[in-house]
Amino acid sequence: MIEKSQTILNKLGLHARAAAKLSHLANSFNSDIHIVFNEDRVNAKSLLGILTLAAAVGNDITIVAEGDDEKEAVAAICDLFNRKFDEEN
Amino acid sequence: MIKGLIITHGDLGRELIQVAEKILERKADLAFLSLNWEDDGSDMDDQLDRFIVKNKNHDIIIFTDMFGGSPSNISTRFINQKIEVISGINLPGLLKFITYREKQTDLKKLVKIIEKGAIDGISILSEYLGEKK
Repeated sequence: MIEKSQTILNKLGLHARAAAKLSHLANSFNSDIHIVFNEDRVNAKSLLGILTLAAAVGNDITIVAEGDDEKEAVAAICDLFNRKFDEEN
Repeated sequence: MIKGLIITHGDLGRELIQVAEKILERKADLAFLSLNWEDDGSDMDDQLDRFIVKNKNHDIIIFTDMFGGSPSNISTRFINQKIEVISGINLPGLLKFITYREKQTDLKKLVKIIEKGAIDGISILSEYLGEKK
């Protein structure tokens, strides 16, 4: 199992389109992937689950992955966050 | 794949599909029928018939905007083993349908997933956020 902390960098936070991109990416991996924010833990493969976090820019979330491709999954998800979900130049 | 059709008063269905496609950044493969305020629904009945004949080899979910409204009443007579109707569709429910229809091919299970997504998508935010604090 891998856990990695990640700061939300895009202005709009984990809003609908960002959550859709995140869940789409998470679904491309075999591993179980969760996003933890404060006391909440949601399935990263669920768009509506991610939205319930209402996580905003500057918030720190934790990505937790477990499975045969956990390393690649966490790396790809961190990359998506660091690219600000391709929303900003 | 299970087919989907949204039937609503006015263009609500078309708008819901457009918003869902924008969020997911892909086409949703969903049809819509809009009931004009002046119509008595007979034209919609024919269009619905045509949609069902065209997709006779598929299971179908018909989404309507409100239980008891004409779109819902017209759809009710088509319910059978291969056709389910879900009333009161909203954006969270529709997103559930689009994102689950490829992995959940059992019609009865898929409609339960969508129903739960749509209901869970409604919250009184002061209460929801209060619980989280």
